[in-house]
Amino acid sequence: MTVWTPSDDGYADLSSHGTFAQGAPHNTFARLRRDDPLSWTDWDGGAGFWSVTRHEDIVKLNGNFELMSSARGIRMEDQSYEEYLARRTFQETDPPEHMKTRVKVAKAFSKPVIAEFEDQIRELCDDILDPALEMGTLDATKEIARQLPMRMLGRILGTPDEDLPWLVEKGDALIANTDPDFTDHVLDKMETDAFRMMPFNSPAGAELYQYAKELMEHKTAQGDTDGILNMILQPGRDGNVISETEFRNFFCLLVAAGNDTTRYSIAAGIQALAHQPELLSQLQTGDHWDTAPDEIIRWATPALYFRRTATRDFEMHGKTVREGDKVLLWFSSANRDDAVFDDPFRVDPARTPNKHLSFGQGGPHVCLGMWLARLEVRVLFEELVKRIRKVEPAGPHQFLRSNFVGGIKSLPVTVTPA
Amino acid sequence: MKATWILPDGQEITAEFADGLNMMEAAVANNVPGVIGECGGNLSCATCHVYVDAAWADKTGTPDEFEDAMLDVAEAPHEDTSRLSCQIKAGAALDGIVLRVPQV
Repeated sequence: MTVWTPSDDGYADLSSHGTFAQGAPHNTFARLRRDDPLSWTDWDGGAGFWSVTRHEDIVKLNGNFELMSSARGIRMEDQSYEEYLARRTFQETDPPEHMKTRVKVAKAFSKPVIAEFEDQIRELCDDILDPALEMGTLDATKEIARQLPMRMLGRILGTPDEDLPWLVEKGDALIANTDPDFTDHVLDKMETDAFRMMPFNSPAGAELYQYAKELMEHKTAQGDTDGILNMILQPGRDGNVISETEFRNFFCLLVAAGNDTTRYSIAAGIQALAHQPELLSQLQTGDHWDTAPDEIIRWATPALYFRRTATRDFEMHGKTVREGDKVLLWFSSANRDDAVFDDPFRVDPARTPNKHLSFGQGGPHVCLGMWLARLEVRVLFEELVKRIRKVEPAGPHQFLRSNFVGGIKSLPVTVTPA
Repeated sequence: MKATWILPDGQEITAEFADGLNMMEAAVANNVPGVIGECGGNLSCATCHVYVDAAWADKTGTPDEFEDAMLDVAEAPHEDTSRLSCQIKAGAALDGIVLRVPQV
């Protein structure tokens, strides 16, 4: 049984956020991979863009930062130089500049540092799963998937638990700024010019900047060493301390990008359990925990694409990409490419190798939080499958209205305890 | 050129490959377990960490500032001959090089 079947007619508009409210248009991606692997989309909201949909091409381009720059924006939307300067994080820089920030934050998110959190994550899973499963029928995104990354964020930031719902709400308003359930300032539906200089075109960005500033001042004044974030505030081996701007931008990135992505990975995993019944018993054998988290994250692909900008003209598949053209690397499509994945619409917890691109593998911007994401997904599903005998859909699930973040925002399920 | 990877269990993998690859790409092409290269050789993930055999350490040169910092991010300890193998370019001068894959 397949988990989910795409419903688009094969000619979906990739520039339309509404398209993705029905789930990623995988019939369209399959056609593009087959017939038009470098495809142009005209867009009424700005300059048109190229879409790259084959796994092989995406890996090649994603590793070539000299040709494919991140420094002119990483989403479909156009950005002036002033906006770029005001809003950028290190996601929007190229090597070697990218490395200057990356080395300051990489240690805190390294595999060995993150591994220390396993017991804490397991305790959080106990706290989350026991009451959620008692409900019998529940929205698994709201009660389970949203909870773990949010509470881990508190451990990372060293912030009080009571601040977390506010932070996550603001993070969602930044990143899901095309879904009316998550923001009052829907990017493509309202006049957002007043917010153009703010992070992610959103007043939520300004509020998060202020929170980050106060948090940093407070921590410095108190000598507070709580949370992973503290590691980032310490001077590096060269004696350099992270600048206030770098810290503020990094903080927004953590709250926005680091939070909903793991949420939607967990949600997609629960969706798979509900629609592919053999998966639960496969996971319950305990034999697949080395591979299952990456397969769940492949299935989810929360970052649907990242955009690059061509730094010079180049030819590909018989077409000419011009200097300055926007090029969208559709990780979502690559992760269903049957040239790389057998039976890509089946969730196979033993899949090896699993060359998915959910973390942007193959390029300098590979996800900083990937070890944390993998650990959270593994521990959450270890704890979940222990506790249940069955999970079934309790109504249709709803996808986020966004062509950038792919996620199930509402996932009604009924669980039968073990 | 030729290189040998010594795995944590003592098993050795020797392979020939083209000059011009880096040592992460060579390891991945020859299925050397434990050398992953998630960032594609862009100094962003530290999953291609190796220890250069002492006899070869002079010939590979030393890590630059960013590589040195990223070696602190690797799963296994950062030792004197630690390198991110994506930063070692294969070539005649390194023909026969021996690299140890860390225990993790």
